[in-house]
Amino acid sequence: MTDAPLEHKVRGVDHAAFPTFDPAATVRFYRDVLGFPVVHSICAAGWGPEDHPDFIHFFFDIGNDDRIAFFYYFGLERQHEQARGDAYAGFGPEVPEFFVRSRHLAIHVDDQDDLLEYRRRLDASSWPVEMQIQHETIESIYTHDPNGYMVEFTRAMRPVTPQEDLDANLTIDALLDVVGEPEPTFGKLLARKAELIVERAADWELAQERTRQQEQEPAQGVTS
Amino acid sequence: MTALYVLDVPENTGVAKVAAEDPEVTVGRVGPYFEITADGSIVVDRRATGCRHAVWYSCVAGIAGGRIVQHDKDALRVEPA
Repeated sequence: MTDAPLEHKVRGVDHAAFPTFDPAATVRFYRDVLGFPVVHSICAAGWGPEDHPDFIHFFFDIGNDDRIAFFYYFGLERQHEQARGDAYAGFGPEVPEFFVRSRHLAIHVDDQDDLLEYRRRLDASSWPVEMQIQHETIESIYTHDPNGYMVEFTRAMRPVTPQEDLDANLTIDALLDVVGEPEPTFGKLLARKAELIVERAADWELAQERTRQQEQEPAQGVTS
Repeated sequence: MTALYVLDVPENTGVAKVAAEDPEVTVGRVGPYFEITADGSIVVDRRATGCRHAVWYSCVAGIAGGRIVQHDKDALRVEPA
């Protein structure tokens, strides 16, 4: 807690990679429907081990110079027979739907106009929007790409406030405390978080106020 | 005494406002949180808050001295422990 925070030097997503068995539809979806430029590709004859198939690794720009990438392996059959799931993983009927949907990629857009522009592009395609939802502070549209991967587009409905960062950190500290004990529950988390709020929230607000005052003081000095 | 903590962000203000309408309930603050306290139950009517689904089900930051016995489309009810 008292250690200086580690310097945060990373710069977003270089690429997130997924296998595909349908490169034609994948290119149609990302390049032709969504308009994501193809920005890189690798044509590789195997990759070291003798049983590694030849493959094409291809990349689409998802904004901010971040990329989504796919592997197409020549001659490789699908790796599962499940009806549910995606090109990477299949799920049997015993797996709840919320769990299947939990893993997804969310792509950021600036505002609602841009969100609705992507909605228009998807709705005119073979992969129309399946849901449009206003969450707590973001609004999102969802579809599944040709490989079954869930893709979300999302926009912030307002900027994130500083107190939400405090709240997130108190949540995580409370979570670590309750998962460190037997039988963690949501009720136990809320009880532990209430303790952390009482311990820390008032001091946090005073520190915020002091920071605001310090930021204002030099400016006042210049003008006086 | 039961305390319900709700983060003070624009989406949540309706929760504190509706809770405060009960004369048995006191709404104070701890830092950026509303501290909603009562000797007995704290009941918040969802429709009166105007909260949409996602906001309603994530508005509780903490519970002290009590437990949630109802949190559904109709109401949030916290009973003393």
